[in-house]
Amino acid sequence: MKLYEKTAVELGAMLRRKECSAVEIAQDTFDRIDQVEDKVHAYLTLSRQEALAQAEKVDERLAAGEELSPLAGIPVAVKDNISTKGVRTTCASRMLENYIPPFNAFVMDKLEAAGIVMPGKVNLDEFAMGSSCENSAFQKTANPRDLTRVPGGSSGGSAAAVAAGEAVLALGSDTGGSIRQPASLCGIVGLKPTYGSVSRYGLVAFASSLDQIGPMGRSVEDVAMLYSAICGHDPMDATSARREYPDFGKTLSRQVKGLRIGLPKEYFGDGVDDGIKELVLAAVRRLEKEGASICEISLPSTDSALSAYYIISSAEASSNLARFDGVKYGYRTKEYENLIDMYERTRSEGFGDEVKRRIMLGTFVLSSGYYDAYYKKAKALQMQIAQEYAAGFEQCDVMMVPTSPCTAFRLGENMDDPLKMYAADICTITVNIAGLPALSIPCGSLEGLPVGLQMIGPRFSEETLFRAAACHEMLQGGPCAVAELH
Amino acid sequence: MEIDIRHIAKLARLHIDEEQLPRFQKEMEGIIQMVNGMKTPAQMDLRPDPANAMVLREDVVQPSFPRDQLLANAPQTEAGCVVVPRTVE
Amino acid sequence: MREYEIVVGLEVHAELNTKTKIYCGCKNAFGSEVNTNCCPICLGMPGTLPTLNKSVVEYAIRMGHALGCTINPVSKMDRKNYFYPDLPKAYQISQFDIPLCEHGYLDVMLDEEGTTKRIGITRIHIEEDAGKLIHGEEFSGSLVDFNRCGVPLIEIVSEPDMRSSHEAHAYLEGLRDVLMTLGISDCKMQEGSIRCDVNVSVRPKGSQEFGTRCEMKNVNSFSGAQRAIDYEAQRQIAILEAGGTITQETRRWDDLKGQNFLLRSKEDAQDYRYFPEPDLLTIVVDEADIRRWKEELPELPHHKLLRFLKDYQLPYFDANLLVEDLEKAPFFEECAKLGLCSSRAIANWLNGEVTRLLADRKETLAQSRLTPEGLARMIQMIEKKEISNTAGKTVLEELLATGKAPAQIVQEKGLGQISDSGALEPIARQVLADNPDAVAKYKNGKTNIVGFLVGQCMKASKGKGNPALFNKMILEMIDQM
Repeated sequence: MKLYEKTAVELGAMLRRKECSAVEIAQDTFDRIDQVEDKVHAYLTLSRQEALAQAEKVDERLAAGEELSPLAGIPVAVKDNISTKGVRTTCASRMLENYIPPFNAFVMDKLEAAGIVMPGKVNLDEFAMGSSCENSAFQKTANPRDLTRVPGGSSGGSAAAVAAGEAVLALGSDTGGSIRQPASLCGIVGLKPTYGSVSRYGLVAFASSLDQIGPMGRSVEDVAMLYSAICGHDPMDATSARREYPDFGKTLSRQVKGLRIGLPKEYFGDGVDDGIKELVLAAVRRLEKEGASICEISLPSTDSALSAYYIISSAEASSNLARFDGVKYGYRTKEYENLIDMYERTRSEGFGDEVKRRIMLGTFVLSSGYYDAYYKKAKALQMQIAQEYAAGFEQCDVMMVPTSPCTAFRLGENMDDPLKMYAADICTITVNIAGLPALSIPCGSLEGLPVGLQMIGPRFSEETLFRAAACHEMLQGGPCAVAELH
Repeated sequence: MEIDIRHIAKLARLHIDEEQLPRFQKEMEGIIQMVNGMKTPAQMDLRPDPANAMVLREDVVQPSFPRDQLLANAPQTEAGCVVVPRTVE
Repeated sequence: MREYEIVVGLEVHAELNTKTKIYCGCKNAFGSEVNTNCCPICLGMPGTLPTLNKSVVEYAIRMGHALGCTINPVSKMDRKNYFYPDLPKAYQISQFDIPLCEHGYLDVMLDEEGTTKRIGITRIHIEEDAGKLIHGEEFSGSLVDFNRCGVPLIEIVSEPDMRSSHEAHAYLEGLRDVLMTLGISDCKMQEGSIRCDVNVSVRPKGSQEFGTRCEMKNVNSFSGAQRAIDYEAQRQIAILEAGGTITQETRRWDDLKGQNFLLRSKEDAQDYRYFPEPDLLTIVVDEADIRRWKEELPELPHHKLLRFLKDYQLPYFDANLLVEDLEKAPFFEECAKLGLCSSRAIANWLNGEVTRLLADRKETLAQSRLTPEGLARMIQMIEKKEISNTAGKTVLEELLATGKAPAQIVQEKGLGQISDSGALEPIARQVLADNPDAVAKYKNGKTNIVGFLVGQCMKASKGKGNPALFNKMILEMIDQM
């Protein structure tokens, strides 16, 4: 029995029917990892013993008749920029190669309480900066759907692990598309939650006002379940929203009758592959047949969003990453003449080129004389974009657009041109700029490569997104399959 | 638009090798050129939004962390402190 | 040489005595073992986030009210970016363009006549303190103690309204007295809980334009500030007199050497790249709270001093000692209110003997058993000549030790003053008989020796004799000799 191919919902049911044990699920996952990891390279750190111990504990509690969370015993891979107490958290950077956090991220505390099993920590672009996972200082992850291609990024390790069956679910983080774009490229489901719904405490910050942790999996229900487990107010995160959330797994409906779908015309322009546009529109028409209505809307500032995004995210990153200075934790250069020399060598040796580029861009846009022309203008545009979205959501309940302008590109293809790489984010960044939730779900393939449909909703409309996505999933014939990888 | 990469690198405490300088220069200028194309927003009022208020923390002491755990990741420690190159006083 | 006017503005940092730090729940305490009042937030560990302490906002606004400021009910925090080992995040969370309080003033008293000058307050904002670097030959480098990281500070920025180092000193004392009165800072200079940066410029007397200013860092005491300002003003005047021009720069004051040194010139000015702190949202303070804190404002030291001078007719020195002390001033007023004795005598006893005895007993006034009524009754007995001054001191010791009523103490200890000539005469005769030398000296014109003789009488009477009576008696007896 290939347990690793099952969804979390299926495994949960089997566990409760005693058709398998949590240890068997964990063991099967590790067997799969042993089988394919040398092709996929999703994991940076495997925590085999800890995972098996977690699984044993779940089995004991189930045997004792305890009522456990539906995620108990489910293998969840964790992006390596989420702090795990006692397990190294590298951010795929030389800077943190040996860094072991003395505390858990808020989401890890929640997941541990739910009884998940963590097979290990997965790869990403260094400090989550990138769209291909190639900016990892340690390894390049391959796309399980085509091993010559990138899995997308920055949560490429999370997406690849789930697509390859090396984990049933995964946590990613999304600052400009880092959950949705790799989910799209690897053919799985990923949710970038509403800003403030999942605590950022313990997520190593890239751009504080845009970062959000989110769930990735092979079915909408799995993703809804994982989202339910990690969302909620955290007093340690001042930007965390104070509100109650339903149990998204339990309340999931597949009914779209009366749902108003908006198609923002700016997302169907020249920058997006025609084949992708057609697949997205075809999916929307299928939903229309189920009783949804369609309207065209406009988000006029979309053109400027990429610029605003790179300014804001880089400005915040330049400040957030200044703490990596060789003093308190992480890498310190071996030889130095004085304090400043120690700082400069440590940071130059510890950071990769993309991180350096963003730090310099961010430093520049905040520097004396340029603040108003760049940072201030970008923040004003951010407000304008949020207002345009708000106006758009007066006409519709959910917007549907492509997740990525192209399918997975070849490893190395865009590495020499940062601007070309940045363009991979054009369909996803405005969502972060406006703090909205968005979900990516496969909607077919082009030349064997998955294409993602992105559903964007107003703040805290995750339930609507899950509903629309679940209906779409049903029309597609069910959850995504694990990549075969012979 | 020309950017003083050396000055920016110094502000960011990065050391850029001479041979890498032209490449970074070119890439940065390309990025700046892109962001220069950003349109001017209708209004530039960036006063903080009172609707986006935070709840302040109550002034109640929480336990601190054991020192050895806090300093376990430090590159160099001595006498319960992290050590840095001598600063001029 | 032309005459010059000194122009001074001050930036004062005061540590607030909240229970916890500004951005985390670690204890806000001084003097703990290195790196023990810390958590991952204090060390700026990856993934940590700040949460703003409610009390810090409250204390800052109370200070704003005390200084007559406009309070901004909607404000925000900003990041100030710079690299230094004592700043673990490599940015300080501070306030840039919207401080909690702005446009206020402090009235300071410049002399004993009560001459008052109003110094403008530009702004008060909240921010975090940095850690401490420890230097020592025995260590392999500089050591960093992060205990002070996150200790809450208010920065109080003045207008360039001071015209001498004396005015600056008075302003600093005035600020300290307000902080003490509000009880929001320990104001312990030796612990660095108040520090200041000093901005100095000079201009020809009568000129309306400001000269180029220099900023001085590392000024750690009020007297140091006074020395630093005088030194810097003289330095600038010397440059101008030699035909030079002042360049805007930051200098470092070395109080031991009594000199300052160039830290950085304007060209090297730091570019702090301020931007709004994305980890914190808007600070919105409830208007009702703001009003309540204003209503709860205690009487401020400057006002109290003026009142003590006028209402109680106290000398400046005595009044100032009382006003500076948060316990003595209300104790004094309660004492005076009883109307049993003179206000001056109360002030003298409180500032003198009471203070000395409390120090011996290592007690504060509040901890001691002394009551305003006990002190007033004791002084009243002296003023009514029921006991001597010396006996009064004994009564006071007993008041502190037992808290009994003064009359009871006098009775139990037999301290009542003897004003019966019949009882005192033999003592006086004996003292004169025992001290013929002194009598001879008196006769030779050294009349002040009578004080010695009275003292001997008092000693012999165990402090109970009426000294005035002894004095009169001795003079009469010597005349008859």
